[in-house]
Amino acid sequence: MKKQYAFYVDAERCIGCFTCAMACKNQYHQENTVVWRDVYDLKKGIFPHRERAFYSLACNHCENPTCLNVCPVKAYTKREEDGIVVHHQDRCIGCGNCIRSCPYGAPRYNPVLKKAEKCSFCWQRIDAGLKPACVQSCPVSALQIVELSELDETGLTQFPPGFPRFPQLNPSVRFRLPRLPKFVRRENA
Amino acid sequence: MSHLELPLVFFTVLAQAAIGAVLISGLRQYACEGPAGDVRREWMFASGLLGLGLVASLFHLGHPLGAPMAIRHLGTAWLSREVLGTGLFLVLTVAGIATAGERIGKGLVVAAGIVGLLAVFSMGMTYAPPAFPAVNNALPLVFFLLTAIMLGSALAALFSPEEKRGGMRAVLTTALVVGLVLYLVVPCVWLSGGTVMAATGRAWGGSVLYWGHIVVGFAIPLAMLWKARRVTPALVVLLLVGELLGRAAFFADTVHTAANLGGLY
Repeated sequence: MKKQYAFYVDAERCIGCFTCAMACKNQYHQENTVVWRDVYDLKKGIFPHRERAFYSLACNHCENPTCLNVCPVKAYTKREEDGIVVHHQDRCIGCGNCIRSCPYGAPRYNPVLKKAEKCSFCWQRIDAGLKPACVQSCPVSALQIVELSELDETGLTQFPPGFPRFPQLNPSVRFRLPRLPKFVRRENA
Repeated sequence: MSHLELPLVFFTVLAQAAIGAVLISGLRQYACEGPAGDVRREWMFASGLLGLGLVASLFHLGHPLGAPMAIRHLGTAWLSREVLGTGLFLVLTVAGIATAGERIGKGLVVAAGIVGLLAVFSMGMTYAPPAFPAVNNALPLVFFLLTAIMLGSALAALFSPEEKRGGMRAVLTTALVVGLVLYLVVPCVWLSGGTVMAATGRAWGGSVLYWGHIVVGFAIPLAMLWKARRVTPALVVLLLVGELLGRAAFFADTVHTAANLGGLY
């Protein structure tokens, strides 16, 4: 298996503080309406508890990326050395086909540059031996990077409830699900 | 697809109308006995529509000057194939106009027909991405073929000799009935699908654009055809407006998968 970096989203640890999303903003200063990473709360149909649970999501740097396949100007490439999907903004003509096509909503439209853009996995930081800004900033280590060919942790899932299932894309992300909260009733206390 | 995408609405509808008109014109010239009709003006009108559509498509790009680069990824990108197909189709129609006699040359008619159908197929694949489960299937292709046949047969009827107009009208009436049933049934089927597909069904059912398409694009034209028994320019304009409304609904009211992140799919 080729080397493939992936995001490890630990929904058991995540407290929904949005520090990862803010760190991304601090790193890249995207335009107001542009978000590369966001935090989604699990709806009641999935996690019906007063204590909330969250997924921190960005581009999944898929093994078979739709954005790369549909881009008419070859503005996307996938790095051989680590599987990161890079958007080359200098080639982008702003057709929006990647934005329409990615089922995870990762590419966004930059209204100032009139081009698409998305999470870069902080490949420049990776090349410098650093962690992505979002991963480094997480105060509870709920967001990590893993190398899929070396990952042997059990109990992880690729398509948890609340995350669209597209096996043909093979998104490079793994989730640890939140445990159900422990109920303490008065009569048991 | 969450936005009106007006340039794409005009591009897809006008291009499909042009392709449909050339296809039906070709069938009328070589598959039916009798005079061919005013084929040079007919193909000029079709290429004019396609030219307008291509100009409209430029307004969709953030950087219109980069449009020629859009054919760089023919290997996997259906959008590249769509751009190449419509460009080639325009070249073939212009060649047809330049060499037109009483009829357009058979080779050019066949080539334009095949390239036109391939272009519609590419459009159908381009607008069927995984992000929209309701249309991540053959539906866009079927919708687009219907647009081509309806507008194509209506336009072809205007340039047709009197004795062949009945045939054009029959094709149009059949396409309208099939289209009306299809557009009424499809959102109902979506309602029994997954969360995003069902949300698309509800969005279409509550959309003024969708109902405008049903009324302006199907119900009134069918009533006009039933009453007048002929295709008039007013009917063609009505059909065009109806298709534009329907295409706007296709782009604006189809729900994206990412709209439900964190919810049940």
